[in-house]
Amino acid sequence: MSNPVAFLGRTAQYVLLSIAAFVSVFPFFWMVLGATNTSPDIIRGRIAPGTALFDNIGKFLTQIDLPRVLFNSLFIAGVGSALTLIVASMAGYGFEMFRSRVRERVFSLLLLMLSIPFAALMIPLFIMMANLKLINTYQAIILPSIASIFIIFYFRQATKAFPHELRDAARIDGLKEWQIFFYVYMPVMRSTYAAATIIVFMANWNNYLWPLIVLQTNDMFTMTLAIAALNAGYTPDFGVIMVGAIIATLPTLVIFFLLQRRFVEGMLGAVK
Amino acid sequence: MSGLKLRNVRKSFGTLEVIKGVDLDIEDKQFVVFVGPSGCGKSTLLRMIAGLEEITSGELTIGEKRMNDVDPAQRGIAMVFQSYALYPHMTVRENMGFALRFAGKPKDEIARRVEEAARILELGALLDRKPGQLSGGQRQRVAIGRAIVRHPDVFLFDEPLSNLDAELRVHMRIELARLHKELQTTIIYVTHDQVEAMTLADKIVVLRDGLVEQDGTPLELYDDPSNHFVAGFIGSPKMNFLGGVAEEGGIRLSDFPGQLVPSPVSLDAGTPVTVGIRPEHFSSTGTATLDVAVEIIEHLGGETYAYARGDGPTLLTLATDNDRTLKAGDRYTARFDPGVLLVFDKDGKRLR
Amino acid sequence: MAHSHLARSEKINGWGFVMPALVLIGIFMIYPIVWSLWMSFQTGRGMQLSFGGLANITRLTQDPIFIRALTNTLIFLAIQVPVMLVLALLFANALNDSKLWGRGFFRTAIFLPCVTSLVAYSVIFKSMFAGDGIVNQTLLALNLIDVPIAWLADPFWAKVVIVTAITWRWTGYNMIFYLAAMQNIDRSIYEAARIDGVPAWARFWYLTVPMLKPVILFTSIISTIGTLQLFDEPNLITLGGPSDSTLTLSLYIYNLSFKFMPSFGYAATVSYVIVILVALLSILQFFAVRERRT
Repeated sequence: MSNPVAFLGRTAQYVLLSIAAFVSVFPFFWMVLGATNTSPDIIRGRIAPGTALFDNIGKFLTQIDLPRVLFNSLFIAGVGSALTLIVASMAGYGFEMFRSRVRERVFSLLLLMLSIPFAALMIPLFIMMANLKLINTYQAIILPSIASIFIIFYFRQATKAFPHELRDAARIDGLKEWQIFFYVYMPVMRSTYAAATIIVFMANWNNYLWPLIVLQTNDMFTMTLAIAALNAGYTPDFGVIMVGAIIATLPTLVIFFLLQRRFVEGMLGAVK
Repeated sequence: MSGLKLRNVRKSFGTLEVIKGVDLDIEDKQFVVFVGPSGCGKSTLLRMIAGLEEITSGELTIGEKRMNDVDPAQRGIAMVFQSYALYPHMTVRENMGFALRFAGKPKDEIARRVEEAARILELGALLDRKPGQLSGGQRQRVAIGRAIVRHPDVFLFDEPLSNLDAELRVHMRIELARLHKELQTTIIYVTHDQVEAMTLADKIVVLRDGLVEQDGTPLELYDDPSNHFVAGFIGSPKMNFLGGVAEEGGIRLSDFPGQLVPSPVSLDAGTPVTVGIRPEHFSSTGTATLDVAVEIIEHLGGETYAYARGDGPTLLTLATDNDRTLKAGDRYTARFDPGVLLVFDKDGKRLR
Repeated sequence: MAHSHLARSEKINGWGFVMPALVLIGIFMIYPIVWSLWMSFQTGRGMQLSFGGLANITRLTQDPIFIRALTNTLIFLAIQVPVMLVLALLFANALNDSKLWGRGFFRTAIFLPCVTSLVAYSVIFKSMFAGDGIVNQTLLALNLIDVPIAWLADPFWAKVVIVTAITWRWTGYNMIFYLAAMQNIDRSIYEAARIDGVPAWARFWYLTVPMLKPVILFTSIISTIGTLQLFDEPNLITLGGPSDSTLTLSLYIYNLSFKFMPSFGYAATVSYVIVILVALLSILQFFAVRERRT
């Protein structure tokens, strides 16, 4: 650092990044701290570990049927993600490997539909689910989420890296097209599937608006709805909420730290 | 009996015709090489034989059976791809046995055939590795092994050596020749490298723009090319071509206006022609001569090539009987026997 | 003969692979969006709808709450998206430096917010911005303010909280896109510029930013779409208040449909306002970036 301008620049760089990192991480710290404090202490801004942790956990467990809520969330996110991965990867593979002018048109239409806001779909979807008597069921949440255009797009982009000669080799080896997909494409593309799994699972796990509309009884609530329910009312108990927030954040946080690279790949995947 | 016949085979992609009517007979156990510049349709033709590309019109028969609409797996063929196309998630053993698994062969037979192929290709030690752990040459052998286990009637090779470095390429070329002898099956091999074609083939098929320019044994094509294109494509270094006009008593080359070159064929005076002569046909003896100015000398040790010019723009390549004393700037009299000259008309057709 | 075995198989399989997705998209996207358009011309309460022509559009122009929701949404858009993208670009640029010590740590830390669930983080922010909460305590301690700010009770500051929250949640997400794009830029371009004596700010402004244009376009479009649909944060942090100062279009649609006596037809009309806004802004951004490139 002989050059004073360079030194200043470097210092500014560290200051900027340190502030950003602090601001980014602080709410996590606050969440953990909050779980140990009483609600009045939290809204009073007490920044020290408290003694209310077990009390908060106890209250949380009496207000929320945790196993049931966790099961709901895991079931919806798990089944929904699995179906999305199969349907969307098949479509991405189909669009990329079997080219035709008509399908190219259809694909462009799908891309346009990426920007359709959910708000414009939710009313007809709600009436549709009501007519089908699916309100307050898992199906009502899972069905509309399966064919994610974003994930189809993601798989199509990733499929561009799948060597056509592998498909040719498999055809000569006597595989049917669906066998090529299951026995060659899927195992070869497993890192794409891993990255996609993470983003799809996270989206399903964190979904709020649609479950809020469709799931109506406590026994069907997902984790997000349970926390939102704790938050309702004039004096929410923040200590209890923090316990819930930790439980809701933990799965995605763990996945993130275990599979950081895949995680980022998944988010970036569609752009390249 | 697995001869192969193509009758007026055509292929179009939309309005673009890429194979424009190919007739070809390939005999059983023949090693046939399709050669030609990139875009000539040689790979497309191979893929049509494999069943990976539809045949737009015409007829393909393998061993007397019409194959146009037969599934690739049922044609009795096996294919080795340029990129090898090994399944990256499977071991060498699984790669080689994959086709047999889907053909419903019993496990012990698959194992036996894989072992047999591994023995032929000396892959025994690598059977439990995955393609990612193999070198280029080893992957190449696995790709061949995957073809061998199927006991095909016809092997198809799509530029199999082009991803290997020069040394390995020579080695694998010899391996392939040995393999052909050992397996005694028909091989169709696509390459853009005429040296591979010359060294491997029983029969070379030279393709250009979706048409067969000429087919024959390597030496037939070398000695007796039927047109300008084949003459230029086969042989290394490339044949020299000089433009000229036939006159009474010989050909006046535009780069050598001061002399007449004796013509090996009879020509009407005034006919514009192109004369071809191979670099190696120049020597220090011979009755005909060309006086040239040497511009560049290449010493290969065993041979010395001179790049030289007459009074025109054409740079000629000359073998010099390994004359190591030649220098750039020298005047040199290149001699040749007029009988070796090849004469082509203005459309490139050989005049005999 | 013309269309043989292989061509037929291509056709069947090509459609076979995409069909499940297309059927689902047809049922759960195309059908609803068309239905919603039709519904937007219907008036009435609950399921008792009748054709009302342009009545809903007239109602839009006379509905002060809609105007408020629209204005709020556009304010969020106009302030939050640029602030977030500029921050993301700055952070990415600061991190795109192989000699930076602790690079991985900073990157992970700034990315961390987008791992959180929207509901969880919204509630955490609500607690932090409480009247005597940690944010006010900190600002008081730093002598930046003299009296606590009524974050959630003041129409202006409530908007600030929402903007802050969204920016916190999504800046790292956008930064990752920029970082990835920056790492694809050939380093020798920067080396050449340094040898040519181009200062650091100019390298950023004249080299990095123009080369990132496609990614900037992409992120600004997805951020715009996201912000126009803003629902979770206002519903959980401020419930649209105080006095509708953080009410967004999505929240208004939700209220119209599921909170009050349902007014599906009118809600559908409001939802089409979002559709039109998304389309217009995407086109606008697309051309803005393309214009400057040529």
